[in-house]
Amino acid sequence: MFGDLRRFDTGVSPGADWFRQWLDEILSAESAADIRSVPRGSFPLINVGRTDDAVRVYVLAAGLTTEDLEIHVQDNVLTLRGRRDALPRDDDSERKRPIFRRERFDGEFVRSIGLPDGIDVERAEARCHDGVFEIHLPKREELKPRRIEIQAA
Amino acid sequence: MNDVTRHESQAGVTARNSHNSAMRPPVDIYEEDNALFVVADMPGVTRESLKVEVDDNLLSIEGEMHIDMPEGITATYAEAMAQRYARRFTLSHEIDTDTIEAHLEKGVLQLRLPKKERHKSRRIEIKAS
Repeated sequence: MFGDLRRFDTGVSPGADWFRQWLDEILSAESAADIRSVPRGSFPLINVGRTDDAVRVYVLAAGLTTEDLEIHVQDNVLTLRGRRDALPRDDDSERKRPIFRRERFDGEFVRSIGLPDGIDVERAEARCHDGVFEIHLPKREELKPRRIEIQAA
Repeated sequence: MNDVTRHESQAGVTARNSHNSAMRPPVDIYEEDNALFVVADMPGVTRESLKVEVDDNLLSIEGEMHIDMPEGITATYAEAMAQRYARRFTLSHEIDTDTIEAHLEKGVLQLRLPKKERHKSRRIEIKAS
């Protein structure tokens, strides 16, 4: 049960995101937040689109290769899991390099989003290019929109 | 990224509109080997759609996201609300703007901004009094 809770723990957003989080808190004080919603700017950003026959999820995960991202679907919940090291390790420990800004996400991440019903997980596919992962989740045949012919009486 | 901006650009809405809706890519900036490094996350940007410019002392980074989306797609959820990235920085005088190098891989832009020769750091000895 507690392992489940950790799915929503996406970590604190990098950089000066306290302001955004504060704004989010102020603006959403009255309305209920989605249980899987995360602060703006969490890594990776996710967009979801829908066509007649499929749901497409676009994951903006700069710097990740196919091996770095794990994609799971269970009970209509899509979970993305992986790790990104923002900067190469600073091996020269004698003289630390000065860092002026550190806004990019660094470390491990887990994100989950709810999917609509009727996804055919068996036929799901994913590919990536230029740091964008596209997950193609086809709808089950019986749920596709269908034209109904009107028969002559 | 979302279908709304996509349809707008297809309908020929002025470039000014899309200019307004640019995302600010997160960056890391550090110094190493007498150069400043700027690393920016710009997923979806290709070499062709990336523009890095230095004008006087203003460094501007811009990029257009290229994602193939099927016809008739409707956005149901969007965290990325624009298809462009833009960010600008002012450079200090010690940067040698003629030798800036850019490298784009997997949507991560890395810029190397070398310092001019005469600005390289020199260690100052502290003398015993």
